[in-house]
Amino acid sequence: MAKFISQEIIHQMVARWSSPRPENYRFKIFKDTSDFFRVEYGSVVVLDEKPFLILHNAKEGRFGLDDEEKFWVKRSVDLTDGSRKIIKLVFYEKFMANIAGIDFECFRSPKKEARILKLVGNHKNFMHGYAVEDENGNIVRVLDVVNGKPLHIHLQNLECDHQAYFYKLFPDILSKYIECIKAIKFLHENGEKHGDIRRDHIFIDRDSGDFRWIDFDYNYRQRENIYSYDLFGLGNILIFLTGMGDVMMTDLKKQNHPALSLLTDDDVNIVFHNRVANLKKNYPYIPETLNSALMHFSSGANRFYDNTGQLLEDLEEFIQTQ
Amino acid sequence: MNNELTFNKNILIAVDESENARRAVLYVAQLLEGATGFSVTILHVINEPEEDYFPTTDEKEKWLSQYKKKVDKMLEDYRQILIQKGFDRSVVSVRSTIRYCPSMAQCILEERDETEYSTVVVGRQGLSRSEEFLFGSVSSKIVNYARNCTVWVVE
Repeated sequence: MAKFISQEIIHQMVARWSSPRPENYRFKIFKDTSDFFRVEYGSVVVLDEKPFLILHNAKEGRFGLDDEEKFWVKRSVDLTDGSRKIIKLVFYEKFMANIAGIDFECFRSPKKEARILKLVGNHKNFMHGYAVEDENGNIVRVLDVVNGKPLHIHLQNLECDHQAYFYKLFPDILSKYIECIKAIKFLHENGEKHGDIRRDHIFIDRDSGDFRWIDFDYNYRQRENIYSYDLFGLGNILIFLTGMGDVMMTDLKKQNHPALSLLTDDDVNIVFHNRVANLKKNYPYIPETLNSALMHFSSGANRFYDNTGQLLEDLEEFIQTQ
Repeated sequence: MNNELTFNKNILIAVDESENARRAVLYVAQLLEGATGFSVTILHVINEPEEDYFPTTDEKEKWLSQYKKKVDKMLEDYRQILIQKGFDRSVVSVRSTIRYCPSMAQCILEERDETEYSTVVVGRQGLSRSEEFLFGSVSSKIVNYARNCTVWVVE
């Protein structure tokens, strides 16, 4: 039988790890988290007899848009030891995504994220956590907070020109990103997709400096190649890192950039036609071995990568020639 | 030593609900017009969604049952196309199978391998390069990976 946790005990625990509440304050206690909108600031979620004080909903911003509140993702404090946790409650959604005019079906799956958390364990290139069922069988994920910034913010904040970046900072960034690609290879070898590979889904761990993937609950209905959408995400990030940000055709046109006379339709990203993939035409010092890897994600690609192993081989060849 | 390969007259048409699949059926119907000796199987592999796709098992069962009905109707429609073009009813069969397919092409080719078809027919999807890059092309992969059979890709 589940242990009863009294208001008095919760008051004591909260006072230990957070601001104490007035004596007459009654914590709302949730053991069934199905209605995640009701799980608000100051309430307590009890999972497997462990109480978590809910702080606020997580937010996620992207591409200059305002942060979007994720009502099913709660920042919290584990009241047994005071550690900060992110609690992801169950939210099923299915929708048609559209990328550059191509529709495909996506869905969110707590089961998938729970499985991957178990699979990756303490792997240094992933977020960590565990899944637990609440009283109503909802698969709730309890995640450790990754202390650090998202990779794209780190890049945006750099104050140097591309050439200095490329020679001084990029080698280390690429080597850490290769670790991330290997981590995705590990998922694929175990039959799992990441599902939502984006530059803001890599955090740089402030303590270890490792790049770590977050958010594994997205999934998509594959067609022929189960992992090609993940590979597309990996390629986009590789181009972003190599270019120290996106090199946009519109920006080059505004600047009347000399590279414009060299760029052709084959040189842009195969899906996002406004982004340059053939970065060597902008930055001639980029070695051919690296640029040819980027070109696998360009409109002019003769051959697509079928798997992460092929991409890694090409990147390792580049590293060896440096 | 006689190295001559032998080919049978069994044809496997792999279909889905798309217009290009219909064209593949029409092509076989018009090309062979019920010529004797040929036997045709119209195959649809139901790509079983991943476990994660459904919040509950009940929803999965409901989805599969509805989808199966739709597939049965589609296969019967295609079968009638061949019969109307002169194929004897006894030589046109339909088959649907539910499988989890990380690669649909591999699933179709595995079906072929389990039976004896010298010819596999598929419709060309007409994907843009971006689409092929993002999700892969079933017909391209069948062409690349098929062994011990001939592949007709119908435009």
